[in-house]
Amino acid sequence: MSAVGIRLEGISKRFAHRVKGEVYAVRDVSLTVQPAELLTLLGPSGCGKTTTLRMIAGFEQPDAGRVFIGEQDVTGLMANQRNIGFVFQNYALFPHLSVFENVAYGLRVQRQPEQEIARAAGDVLALVGLQGYDRQFPNQLSGGEQQRVALARAIVIRPRVLLFDEPLSNLDAKLRVHMRGELRELQQRLHITAVYVTHDQEEAMAISDRIAVMHQGQIVQEGTAESLYRHPGSEFVAQFIGRTNLLSGRVRSASPGEIELEVAGQHLRLPGDAVRATAGQIVRLVVRPEVIELRPADSPDGIPGTIVSRTFLGEKAEYQVRVGEDLLQVTSYNPVQRGLFTVGQPVRLHFPAEGIQLLPGGPA
Amino acid sequence: MTSIAAARIDGWRRTFRDPALFTTVIVLWALLALFILFPLAKLLARTFLDGGQVTLANLAAILRDVNHRQAFWNSLLLAALVGLCGTWLGFVYAFAAVRANLSRAWITVLDAASLLPLISPPFTTAIAMIYSFGPRGLITYHLLGIKGFTVYGLHSTLFSETLTYFPIAYLTLKPILAGIDPNVEDMAFSLGSSRWRVFRTVTLPLTVPGLANAFLLLFAASLADFATPLILAGNSFPVLPTQAYLQITGLFDLKGGAVLSFVLLVPALVVYLLQRYWVSRKHYVTITGKVGAQTTIKSLAPWARAPLLGACLLLAGVILYFYVLLFYASAVVALGANHAWTWRHYQVIFTEGLKAIRDTLVIAGAGMPLGGLYGILLGYLVARKIFPGRQAMEIVSMINYALPGTIVGIAYLIAFNDPPIVLTGTALIIVACYVFRYSPTGIRATVALLQQIDPSIEEASQGLGAGSGTTFRRITLPLILPAFFAGLGVVFIRSMTAISATIFLVSINWTLITVRILENMTELSLGPAAAFSVLVVVIVFAVIVAISGLLRRFRTPGAVDMTSILGG
Amino acid sequence: MPRFGSWLSRLSVPMVLGCTLGWAAAPAGAADTVNAYSIWPENWARPMFQEFEKATGIKVNFVRFSSGEALARVIHEKNNPQVDVLFGGPVETHAAGIKEGIFEPYKPPSFNVLPARFRHSEGQWVAIADDPLVFMSNIKFLKEHNLKPPASWGDLLDPAYKNMIQMADARTSGTAVTRIFSVLETYGRDEEKAFDYMKKLRPNVQLYTKSGGGGTLPVGLGQAGAGIFFIVDALDTKAKGYDVTISFPKEGIGTSAEAIALLKGAKNPELGKKLIDWAASPAMQSLYAKYKINFVPAHPDVKVEASLAEVLKGAKIFPIDDAFAGANRKRIVERWINEVLNPK
Repeated sequence: MSAVGIRLEGISKRFAHRVKGEVYAVRDVSLTVQPAELLTLLGPSGCGKTTTLRMIAGFEQPDAGRVFIGEQDVTGLMANQRNIGFVFQNYALFPHLSVFENVAYGLRVQRQPEQEIARAAGDVLALVGLQGYDRQFPNQLSGGEQQRVALARAIVIRPRVLLFDEPLSNLDAKLRVHMRGELRELQQRLHITAVYVTHDQEEAMAISDRIAVMHQGQIVQEGTAESLYRHPGSEFVAQFIGRTNLLSGRVRSASPGEIELEVAGQHLRLPGDAVRATAGQIVRLVVRPEVIELRPADSPDGIPGTIVSRTFLGEKAEYQVRVGEDLLQVTSYNPVQRGLFTVGQPVRLHFPAEGIQLLPGGPA
Repeated sequence: MTSIAAARIDGWRRTFRDPALFTTVIVLWALLALFILFPLAKLLARTFLDGGQVTLANLAAILRDVNHRQAFWNSLLLAALVGLCGTWLGFVYAFAAVRANLSRAWITVLDAASLLPLISPPFTTAIAMIYSFGPRGLITYHLLGIKGFTVYGLHSTLFSETLTYFPIAYLTLKPILAGIDPNVEDMAFSLGSSRWRVFRTVTLPLTVPGLANAFLLLFAASLADFATPLILAGNSFPVLPTQAYLQITGLFDLKGGAVLSFVLLVPALVVYLLQRYWVSRKHYVTITGKVGAQTTIKSLAPWARAPLLGACLLLAGVILYFYVLLFYASAVVALGANHAWTWRHYQVIFTEGLKAIRDTLVIAGAGMPLGGLYGILLGYLVARKIFPGRQAMEIVSMINYALPGTIVGIAYLIAFNDPPIVLTGTALIIVACYVFRYSPTGIRATVALLQQIDPSIEEASQGLGAGSGTTFRRITLPLILPAFFAGLGVVFIRSMTAISATIFLVSINWTLITVRILENMTELSLGPAAAFSVLVVVIVFAVIVAISGLLRRFRTPGAVDMTSILGG
Repeated sequence: MPRFGSWLSRLSVPMVLGCTLGWAAAPAGAADTVNAYSIWPENWARPMFQEFEKATGIKVNFVRFSSGEALARVIHEKNNPQVDVLFGGPVETHAAGIKEGIFEPYKPPSFNVLPARFRHSEGQWVAIADDPLVFMSNIKFLKEHNLKPPASWGDLLDPAYKNMIQMADARTSGTAVTRIFSVLETYGRDEEKAFDYMKKLRPNVQLYTKSGGGGTLPVGLGQAGAGIFFIVDALDTKAKGYDVTISFPKEGIGTSAEAIALLKGAKNPELGKKLIDWAASPAMQSLYAKYKINFVPAHPDVKVEASLAEVLKGAKIFPIDDAFAGANRKRIVERWINEVLNPK
């Protein structure tokens, strides 16, 4: 079976809120997921990502807009008519059924012959590495094992799409990293379209073909992990994807191909194609901690600052540096060879132009 | 379009799209309308309509009667006193069980003694009281040598009802006290508080909402109690349920009885609403994080332990004494005159009383599965499904439970004697009365259980292609089976022990053990009355043990404790 | 055990559906069964009905209610009678029922043999027994208070009886109604005087019981000192072994006929008539002695049993005028409730 895509056309979902009245959980979201692609909906809690996923699944009905799986408009269909595989945050295993019966459940609903059920369930259990667990009950399994059962149960019915709702958030950190690798591998092996919801940007970056960042019920930016990191479209995305410093600067002059800025008393020249700016305008800059270079105070130029704190982590050192009224985060790799700065020490900060992005618009 | 209207339309849309849900909702509403709203409407019509005219004359006539007014205030006074005494007793009992470091054996004794009144037919303590107290009472005269002690009146009714209903307070308060982390008390000790101060400033305040809840539950139970005052209140202390009963059965004044029961309805509803929307919404104990390591409980001074335990054992002893006396009365020729052992009374109830036993078992047996099914269906719908009128359905389903049995019985009597729906003389009217009156316990157990079961389990089933019918049958039903069995257990037990509503509904064709007990007592056949009571206690106890055993076998989250359910 | 839950759930649905309501809604009652409300206690009614079944093959399906309750039910069920016969109960009950139009007149073969006070002129009811009221006292109580068995209505006003007398509640019991009319007759139907007496007696009354015999056991046990009961109940108490004595007031005391009546709209009128025929004849009334039921037979051909005759010897007993009682019952009972039971 070849993979099918998912298309959302302007879907919205409102909820009645006790205090605020009518609240949009999801507002006019349009999104296309390519066949066999793994797309992650990323955002803080309450951003509408889970509601969006549940509307794809059919657990919620959109108030407006349409949902397509492949070329089929499934907006009016109940979840049980959509042929989807859904993996829940808490796994939602049937506590009164054995592992085998959990996995076989969807096949029994389809009234498959008993032999076929035994074969298919056995295959899938083997696929997720749970041979021999047939007779166990969910409460006898570890978190990771339960996760695998949930996965097996979702894929055994050969769903058209796989939907994951923060599937790893109940696992401990190490297992989480391990399982996300397995999930990704399985999705690629099955060649199946998947939508993955998480609030963990590292997980999103590790697992996704593409990421759609959601904020206040809307998708604010979508793209690959690299493009989101390198070209955040807003302060929100910049801060949510990776660590960042946000600085304000004034445009001194703007000419095609180059913008000259004044940031903390220092002049910077940036390649200016991406942003339209006019002289005198205040702009926001995204400066990632790892691009800032710290130099001793007696260096010829750079922005003067003072080390406020230092965290030594072996392969890197993380500093907080006071510059004027701002506190900047600076990450210095290979610090042992480069030399460590001490708290209270005056330094100069260098911003390489190619590591700085300008955000559109005025000050936030 | 407002969001509420949108939600409503969404609700209709979903309901219509799901035929199983749609049908179930319609059927349940039809049943609720027929067996709860219709009789209540008839009762109100009987109270406020006269010849097609709305009138307050009936009500005014009853309220003008000083005796009825007296009965009304008496009912409130008795209920308030039972609430206070029972709550206090229940608290002492619960405190001893939770905080006195008792061994399992002691706690079992306390639990058993508190279970007995909950599963007994009415009159049991009342009968025993009559023989124990009074001018020639076993205790007042023979033991203490007091002459001329009057057994009829407020004091003995209060005593008997307190003993009968304090287990409700005990069952309400025990989990609350147990839920107070001893570490919280340790914390207070470490801050230098004395034991008394810890009790006063930590333990007691944390229990206050529970105490209020227990008080209201006891208040409602006493307000509705008809059997105890009938035997013990005498003529100087009339109360409303008994008056309404006598008004109907004695004076054939159905209208007067209807009006009297309406007067009772008002405080009953107030108490119910208070209990439901005020007290039960408060958080009892805020437990943050995990309960700390088990520490020894220090909140009770060593010297206080013995008197506390002694008081509880005394209470348990009084209860056990009553039941021993009851058994003794069933096994001697004539209590007070001829104490030769005999099985005659048991022969009597198994020959002459066999019809009552059979009828009761048939009615309880029929009500049991129906009540269980009704309870989980309704509980499931209101806890899990979105459909129009969901909250109204829940409220309506609780009405017959909240109202005193006398009201429900009279309402049924009025509603189902004449066309269009004639049910008097059938078993159906009694079964329906029990099902709709006692299933709310099952409904609440279902809702409580479902709250512990993540809705995503049902969504998982739906996502795997199962419709709502299949999901309910294959996933939800097995998970809420404990509530099903608890619910049907309560219906069975109450069918065996209740009298206040169904005394109006028994007929030539169908009678009940409890009504036979009352008849036997008025016929002075104390032996058979006691034998019937013993039989009921034994049957009910066996059923409880069986259902508790069954419940322990489920590997589902949220075990339902049979005995604690009886308290609600 | 693993799939215990799901197994049960599979079972429970058909189990519940299998429990159809059809049988529950169907009233009982076979073709050869007559239905009756008995005002007689079960332990007397049952042997009578068993003998009836032995004699005629007709089974009697019955429930026992005290007279007020039985009457209330019969009236309530007027449009849809559940029973055919109202069996036993003081005749005032039946007299009150006539006004409600609940009976079907029927004259059994014994009708013409019965004395006038044991039959209603139109046959609305016939008597099956006579049942005088008596005073019954606890012997130990009398001894403790140096009392003689009460021999006049006035004796009961003695302060020694304070809070120690039990008698029936007129709201539910026919015994009480007969008692109140006895007092009325004793005072020559002077209501004021009669109620004055009853009000004076009130402080001595410990409890008005729901049924006529309700106080006999407390008196037997000594929980109460004395009471006013029908002789059947009093002698039954004595027979059970309780230490009680029976006495009569010198002013006289009322007696009430125990009656039987056919209900209008009865579903089995022919069977009901057969039961009335039998009950009104010596066939049943000669059985009273055998079953130690201390009613005085109503049929003149049945002799009063010797020990019962001994108790009754010398007692002044007068009948209650059923026409007067029937006409005034409701008013008198209401007055009693308002002035005696619940004095304002």
